[in-house]
Amino acid sequence: MANFPNIERVDARAKVTGAPIYGADRTTPLHALLAVSTVTKGRLAAIDTARARAVPGIRLVATHEDLADLTSPGFLLSGGYGFQSFAPMLSDAIVHRGQPIALLVADTLEAAAEAASLVEAAYVEVPFSSKINSTGATIIPQAQSPLPQQIFRDTIAGDAAGAFGAAATTVDVTFHNPPQHQNPIELVATVAEWDGDDLTIHEGTQNSGALKFGIARMFGIEPDRVTVISPQVGGGFGQKNSLQMQTALVAWAARRLGAPVKMVVPRSQLFGNASFRPESRHRVRLGADAEGRLTAALYDVDAQSSRHDLFPLDYTNPAARLYGIPNFQGFQRIVQTDVQTPGYMRAPFEHMATFALDTAVDEMAAALGRDPVEYRMALDTDRDPVTGLPFSSRFLNACLSRGAEMFGWTGRNPEPRSMRAADGQLVGMGVGCGCYKAATAPAAASLRLDADGRVSVAVGVHEMGQGIRTALANAVAARLGVHPSAVSAVIGDTRGVPQHTTAGSWGTATAVPAVVEAADKLLEELGPDPLAAMARRGLESYETRIERRAPGQPEEPARALHVGRPAPWGPVYGEFVGFSYIAHFAEVLVEPSTCRIRVPRIVSVVDCGQVVSPRTAESQVKGGVVWGIGAALREATEVDERYGGFLNTDIAEYVIPVNADIGRNEVAFINEPDPRISASGVKGLGEVVMTGVAAAIANATWHATGRRLRDLPIRPEHLL
Amino acid sequence: MNREDDSVAWPLLTRREALIGAGLGVGTAMFHLHLEPAAAQPSAGPSVRFDDQVGVSFTTNGRELDAVVDPRTSLLDHLREAQGLFGTKKGCDHGQCGACTVHLDGERVAACLTPVVQCAGRTVETVESLERDGELHVMQQAFIDHDALQCGYCTPGQIMAAIACVREGHAGSRDEIREYMSGNLCRCGAYENIVSAIEAARSKMEA
Ligand code: FES
Ligand code: FES
Repeated sequence: MANFPNIERVDARAKVTGAPIYGADRTTPLHALLAVSTVTKGRLAAIDTARARAVPGIRLVATHEDLADLTSPGFLLSGGYGFQSFAPMLSDAIVHRGQPIALLVADTLEAAAEAASLVEAAYVEVPFSSKINSTGATIIPQAQSPLPQQIFRDTIAGDAAGAFGAAATTVDVTFHNPPQHQNPIELVATVAEWDGDDLTIHEGTQNSGALKFGIARMFGIEPDRVTVISPQVGGGFGQKNSLQMQTALVAWAARRLGAPVKMVVPRSQLFGNASFRPESRHRVRLGADAEGRLTAALYDVDAQSSRHDLFPLDYTNPAARLYGIPNFQGFQRIVQTDVQTPGYMRAPFEHMATFALDTAVDEMAAALGRDPVEYRMALDTDRDPVTGLPFSSRFLNACLSRGAEMFGWTGRNPEPRSMRAADGQLVGMGVGCGCYKAATAPAAASLRLDADGRVSVAVGVHEMGQGIRTALANAVAARLGVHPSAVSAVIGDTRGVPQHTTAGSWGTATAVPAVVEAADKLLEELGPDPLAAMARRGLESYETRIERRAPGQPEEPARALHVGRPAPWGPVYGEFVGFSYIAHFAEVLVEPSTCRIRVPRIVSVVDCGQVVSPRTAESQVKGGVVWGIGAALREATEVDERYGGFLNTDIAEYVIPVNADIGRNEVAFINEPDPRISASGVKGLGEVVMTGVAAAIANATWHATGRRLRDLPIRPEHLL
Repeated sequence: MNREDDSVAWPLLTRREALIGAGLGVGTAMFHLHLEPAAAQPSAGPSVRFDDQVGVSFTTNGRELDAVVDPRTSLLDHLREAQGLFGTKKGCDHGQCGACTVHLDGERVAACLTPVVQCAGRTVETVESLERDGELHVMQQAFIDHDALQCGYCTPGQIMAAIACVREGHAGSRDEIREYMSGNLCRCGAYENIVSAIEAARSKMEA
């Protein structure tokens, strides 16, 4: 397949001029805010809203006593639409700290804020558990849980325990990751407006379909009555992949008051009221035979969920596909604690799974006296160890060899603590590999060609910065021989075609083949010069529509697309298994007295199949590397077990990387199309880019200091 | 502080003390603070009421404006909710993210930390002021050319900060740019391209 041209981001002009393209960018006569629970578990004994009601300009104060007519939307991962099954303010129950207890609507934001501060509540409290090792946390082996076992069973290949027992060299290491929060810069926000019985919601969401059907379920109305519009999301990262807690509350208030209502949820409230990356603990045991061949891996994971939902774990599947380890045993346990339900945050499982496995492999290479790059390359395989099926494509070794060359790996002295910068800082060089499933989803697409040469496509996908609008324009333009600027897209909008959640890195591999198929259909129907054909027939415009499923996907699971439910398919496709791969090479500098760690340089080489939009793809890699640096060195949401909930609930205290933290990131793509995953050869990019970064940094930190640090984030105090 | 208070951008007494303590010239502004007796709860102190609106005159993007505002309103909320200028973004409301960066008398400020009454007699410029006759500011064009954005939500604040950064003389090197742009968070991680865009725009702005 020909390479796609390096066009500029098609929505960049709107973004640099501050065009009103996000959900909250509209004027409303009414503003809503929430008062939230200050305790973690129990029930509301009394709530006094008298002072709130007395605030001038207040229009509505509602508590659970007013809202009982709504129903829960259900949990996204068990047949529903919500980020959790628990919907607040439908009863007096308190199940996590920070959950809403009162809804305040006023003429002005200031009045709503004043009223929210005046809500007084008394609680009956009961004991709770906040961490995976807290007293009272409930441990459930996933394979014995009510979750569907054909999907969520243990990950088994060969006889790992036997091979480990017979191994000549072993590694046995444990890793830990704290809770972390996505923190997109766009706050979660809803504008709701009724026109008679019809509701329109403007909200930055990765899943307008779930909002439409979830709100319909909550209100007991026909889904056709609900329109959701989300043309641009100011960052999602998994936080906005389902129905949030405030959407129905805002819609309820707008109906009650007969006027549009806006709520922008304060960031402090989002730490306790939206999903997050759960706390997790990982034990990896590796065994190598006398020749140093890696024969066994045993991988045990404990990860946090809530009391009310089982957030299904998928750490062991990617770990088993990173290298060709013939005997693999993956065992996962869900630990129920008293929090809101955790969920997906960029590379939700793969970040920690690849950090744990790849760091353990690095330790094995060191134990065997092997070069870390050469040792990884010796672990290559073209068959999936778990299913025995071939990989649709796998170029991890090409990523490693190309990356080693770009990075200058041969200049690395293998001895830890052996390299120094001119200013005396310790220099460390490390490699880390990652993988992410190449999933795809069903999609409907329509394409309209106007006589003036303009093309409009509608497809089920959301733009959240990954550059999908640019990829769609580039792909359609190439197919129809028009300029990319002639192509516009209606996406994240339930008035077009059915909208599927945009997550799991399946967006491009799902939406691009769909619009290309619609373009092909148009060419088939009108011939190679469609505009001339339209002129001959006197047509002002011509429209085609297609619907497709993921490769090999049966009809039944694909139908979920039409009711706003997730319908992804893969990475096991029946005849092959699909994964994207990446290799990162990191250079760290450690200041010897303060142990400050800097990352001046990272080289990243990606195997994501065909690259459809080179410029935005490269930006996406750089962004994923920033996320990896944040996860490796900065980000942790702190928990105080005496109070529950989360402590550092703002982005001064929840520390994400700033500009001064980020150095050079050189990026290269293998750019080999994978036509078995998608007709366009796309595998998926947005999350694989983050995997392996933390391993590369931790391995480089070991090389610089001689210290293996296995708990993230790695901070100077851990090196002192 | 209990959790409900977190949702209040400006604790009332602090705000009042800040306004009065700073002796701000708010022109014709008239405060009528109604101090009410404490409510039944023994813990509650006197509640301060801002029933009355305040007049404030200032210039936004070249347009003179006589506004009547709630004295608690931030410049950010005023620009967005009263003036309908949605280019300035709310990412934290606490001065932590830079998404609300605007120019006040030519200097970058966090609009969420600037009471609108503090703008009396002053000049505010937002991202909407940059495009002239359909032509983008060189910084805007450089952000496009270097793909210095992804979701775009932090971008107006980055651009306003970047222009100020160059004017301040803090864009001499990549390292200096990184340091002086570190008040503007980008969760998408467009930092490296932002630095490249500022480097490129700097030479054109100085030319
Ligand atoms: S919104 Fe003002 S600094 Fe974040
Ligand atoms: S571009 Fe998304 S936060 Fe900066």
